[in-house]
Amino acid sequence: MFKFLSRSIPPLRTQASRRFNHSHKSLVEIEQTNCRLLDVVRNRVDERKTLLEKISQDTSTLDDKVILRRFKELEPIEAAWNRWTSTRQQLEEAVSFLNDSDEAMQQLALEEVESLTSTLESLAEKTFPSLLIPPSTTKHMSALMELKSGVGGSEASLFLADLLRMYQRFADTTSWSVEIVAKNDAEGSGIKDASVEFKGEGAYDTLRWESGVHRVQRVPATEASGRTHTSTVAIVVLPLVEESEMSVDDDLFSMEDIKLEVMRARGAGGQHVNKTESAVRLTHIPTGITVSMQDERSQHQNRRRAFQVLRSRLLDLKLTKEMEERRTTRRNLVKGADRSEKIRTYNFAQGRVTDHRIGLTLKNLNSVLEGDGLHVFIDSIAKHHEESVMADMLDEK
Amino acid sequence: MFTRLLLSLSSTLGRTQASRELKWMQQAIDSRAVTASLDDMVSRRVRGEPLQYILGTQPFGPLNLLTRPPVLIPRPETEHWVMRLAESLSPTAQRPISLLDLGTGSGCIPLLLCKLWPPGSLKAYGVDISPHALSLAQDNAALCGFSRMDGDKSLSTNTFKAVKASFLDHDFLKHGSSVNPPFDVVTSNPPYISWNEYLDLDASVSDFEDPKALFGGPDGLDFYHAIRHLVSREGFLTPSATVALEVGHTQANAVENMMRGTGRFRSTEVWLDPWGKQRTVVARV
Repeated sequence: MFKFLSRSIPPLRTQASRRFNHSHKSLVEIEQTNCRLLDVVRNRVDERKTLLEKISQDTSTLDDKVILRRFKELEPIEAAWNRWTSTRQQLEEAVSFLNDSDEAMQQLALEEVESLTSTLESLAEKTFPSLLIPPSTTKHMSALMELKSGVGGSEASLFLADLLRMYQRFADTTSWSVEIVAKNDAEGSGIKDASVEFKGEGAYDTLRWESGVHRVQRVPATEASGRTHTSTVAIVVLPLVEESEMSVDDDLFSMEDIKLEVMRARGAGGQHVNKTESAVRLTHIPTGITVSMQDERSQHQNRRRAFQVLRSRLLDLKLTKEMEERRTTRRNLVKGADRSEKIRTYNFAQGRVTDHRIGLTLKNLNSVLEGDGLHVFIDSIAKHHEESVMADMLDEK
Repeated sequence: MFTRLLLSLSSTLGRTQASRELKWMQQAIDSRAVTASLDDMVSRRVRGEPLQYILGTQPFGPLNLLTRPPVLIPRPETEHWVMRLAESLSPTAQRPISLLDLGTGSGCIPLLLCKLWPPGSLKAYGVDISPHALSLAQDNAALCGFSRMDGDKSLSTNTFKAVKASFLDHDFLKHGSSVNPPFDVVTSNPPYISWNEYLDLDASVSDFEDPKALFGGPDGLDFYHAIRHLVSREGFLTPSATVALEVGHTQANAVENMMRGTGRFRSTEVWLDPWGKQRTVVARV
């Protein structure tokens, strides 16, 4: 049907169309550029029709929540598609008047063609993609970032401190609140590891692209011979579930699966001892995930923090699994799951930062470390991800 | 300078604990909870003073309580059993209960229960003989918003009041006291350290915390005998009362037997603390 219609509008390429304002693409161009997209939209509309038939033939499907939800989900796409077809029809009619003997009529038709074409262009390039890409289910979530120094000894710890500062600066430009919830200073200077909470809408969706190994190449301040060292810091960004959203038993785990231990012996304990021994360790038996927490001054606080981290880890596991499942049909995604992968190199000698996932190099290392340049990376990767999702969707059969 | 402080703290606490405590001191300064300098705090700590006195506070469950020498510092073992006690009973504003805490010290036990139970469900009293303890307990009650206004009949909040009295006295709560039995819950973390153990205590305990809050007689059981007499009194407990007593690491059996011996209780049990020590004897009428 599509091809037939495409062929039926040659007038756009005639003399009239040459007078046509070329800031707009022609319908043929729009349909050619977006042909895979339009196929997907049409598939969705067909799917909805099939669902509708099913529902009207068999009323028991009305109780099927999955079917009903899908039916409802597809409604905006069908509406947009209907707008597309009716606009397209109007365009055809308008086109047929482009060669009208009446000059005034021709002019009117031309104006209408122009406006209708621009409507179609916007449908194809903005409306359809926005309706096809599923909205983020993690949009509201805050983030918990864990940084661990890797190879490179004290130089890695120094670099970790630089990265921590970079993210704090970055967060200053947002509405999030930042809190370092755990931190171990390295011998000498620098930070061995740290956990940071970024609280606020969109924090997880923005920062999750920072998960992976960050590599620094520079001459350490302590290096007399001036040799360049390579050190790494591993970052994991987890979704953070706000305490207000928590219940004692939610679908992430059940209390029976938790082993809670206090660390360190306390001798006789009670009145005999007034040392601050507040460290706790949680083990989630089914997954083997353990969380130790000792940065707070009371058992109660450390336990609360530990449960919060456990929830984040379990939620992360769940999201990663869901992403893996979806990925069976999508191959081009920015890899989010493999955290052992080197994602970025900060080269001080050359003053540049390279993100290996998208091959983007910024020549302003300082601006990245000050938090401004980081926006460029994060935005580019998010955009790349969105495009990949779209591309994968278009590949589906 | 920071490194020097860290080093001197590390010599007494070990590196990890030292850097943690230094961080908490810095946080207390940053939040203006203390006026002392980091230097002063570290040198006090190196001389053995408990961190909780230096910082002036100790988190206890969701509360942040004031600590002042020489009043006994709230312990994590106590925090643990009080939270468990809070879960094992469920008073409501419709059926509020009364509680007596014997030797209340900082007021930590009744105040945590005030916090954890629904508003209007608890009217708590604490007794102590130490004027330091009484004033700290009242300050903590005010800080947590559970001070009892005299003549305030509203039941919209839980309340706690600390009263000077000695529960070793024979006429304890007998003559015209503002605290009247019967009680639905009796709690206590009485002094339970014995003579022998007293000599082996860490200096941060024996040199800084009130001996009257620690020392429980030759075998550490003096105050449990007094409590045994009290709960045996006619009309002291309600017909469904619970008594929860913290005990020293070797005393649970002796105290449990004492409570059983009163013939007042339907059941008794011993709760372990997070470190596996028998820590609390719970008796139910």
